[in-house]
Amino acid sequence: MSEELRTSPIETRGLAGKKRYAMVVDTRRCIGCMACQVACKAEYDTPLGVNRTWVPYKVVGTYPNVKKHFLPRLCNHCDDPPCVRACPVEATYKVEDGGFVLQRYERCIGCRSCMAACPYNARFMLPAHRTYTAITSVVDKCTFCFHRVTQGLVPACVQTCIGRSRVFGDINDPASEVSYLVATNATQVLRPEQGTKPHVFYIAGDRSQMEYGRDAYQRREVMDQERRMFERNFKA
Amino acid sequence: MGDYVVFHDVSWHASYAVYFFVIGICAGLSFFSFLSWHKPSLRPVREKSAYLSFVLLAVAGLLLISDLSQPLRFLHVLNPAYLNFTSPLAWGSLNIVTFGLASVAYLFMLRKGDEKWGRTLAWVTALLALGLPIYTGYDLTAHQSRPVWNTPVIPVLFVALAVASGSAVASLLAMGNEAARNMLRLYLLWSTAAVAVILVSILGTTNYGGSAEELTFIVLTTKTMGAIFIGLGIVAGTAAPIAMLLAPFGRRQAGLMFAALLVLVGSAALRYALLMGPQYVQTLY
Repeated sequence: MSEELRTSPIETRGLAGKKRYAMVVDTRRCIGCMACQVACKAEYDTPLGVNRTWVPYKVVGTYPNVKKHFLPRLCNHCDDPPCVRACPVEATYKVEDGGFVLQRYERCIGCRSCMAACPYNARFMLPAHRTYTAITSVVDKCTFCFHRVTQGLVPACVQTCIGRSRVFGDINDPASEVSYLVATNATQVLRPEQGTKPHVFYIAGDRSQMEYGRDAYQRREVMDQERRMFERNFKA
Repeated sequence: MGDYVVFHDVSWHASYAVYFFVIGICAGLSFFSFLSWHKPSLRPVREKSAYLSFVLLAVAGLLLISDLSQPLRFLHVLNPAYLNFTSPLAWGSLNIVTFGLASVAYLFMLRKGDEKWGRTLAWVTALLALGLPIYTGYDLTAHQSRPVWNTPVIPVLFVALAVASGSAVASLLAMGNEAARNMLRLYLLWSTAAVAVILVSILGTTNYGGSAEELTFIVLTTKTMGAIFIGLGIVAGTAAPIAMLLAPFGRRQAGLMFAALLVLVGSAALRYALLMGPQYVQTLY
């Protein structure tokens, strides 16, 4: 994308001299081992019931034509993030060089405006009962492993991905692997109509998972029942 | 079946709807206290409305602060070094604080009996009160990914709801005074009619919208949420009071009181449904 196409001053995709990190998720390579989710939990000690990254799956089709589709999810580190606009105290902000969307825990007031603004459910409230850290009752999210990337490492989920489904790099660098993958594959982003310019690109993402709540059309009772089970078993 | 779905929590819980309800009445009453300077028939509700508006502002402030998961950090929204002016909440917090200060000054002038400053401050507080439903509505409208919320009529609806619930409470305050009652009946009728028109517009655009809108329409019109939104909010809280106020019964004190109570129940139900319903679909994504 050329600089002329940028519509908001916060956007850094294609901005000369700036890095713009992005992730490509090749869903054809994802085997659903959830190692990324576990690595993320281990890296950040994310409490029970909330996740910085998660891998929902869906079984589609009818026997004998059945397939299980995975769609790894995380913060999209949008180029024009609505959460940054919505935060009344600038507790969430975008790092200009790199495009990381980060959170200042000490400033967050817990109004949950950013959670309401995020079209991807990427933000969550840290529970109040964590006793070993002062970081409680504030909003948390994926950081694209800012602390690792700034030391020349890749995010924990990318590091651990056994199928190399997740690829991370600077999309402003035309020689990077993510630039190559985005240029040479048909990619999709989640909910492009929201104008957020997400920077997690999916290769061969399944429509039944990328579109909006198709389940709710048919099986609201089942979803309600599953929600109750989920809350009983996974909510701390 | 056998899918692995991660369910997400709604961002804003029902306590926020209570805040919307209280701050709406607070703004409405402030408007009627201001109006009493220009409509002599409303003179009996001037002080009562102003005092009750201030009490409700204090309640609303406490509700807002207690709803934060870090309540002691509420002062951050008043820190100029932190304020983010692209957020409607930042404007809202400034609006509430300036409204509170103007209300204190107004009440002081009312107690002092200073007509000149009382009239001026009534105008200032009413103007700032108008900002309260507008900012709360804009708080929802600004979220582009949420169906129903992301429609330009939400702030207008909240203004209409504020006038409706404000005139309902003012009607209860003006009990026994026929002139004030007749005037407030007109405001109650027309503001509730405005709410009805806006609701029809919202329901129409939501039903004819994309998949998220369509799902939200189903959520808002069926089961428990349907009973709250359609049953309590639209039928009992909007259509019934309009019919009652147009009938001869609505011109009597008992009729107006009954209609006012229905409008209050309806406006609370509408705020709850409009806050919670559009968040449901997002929790499944």
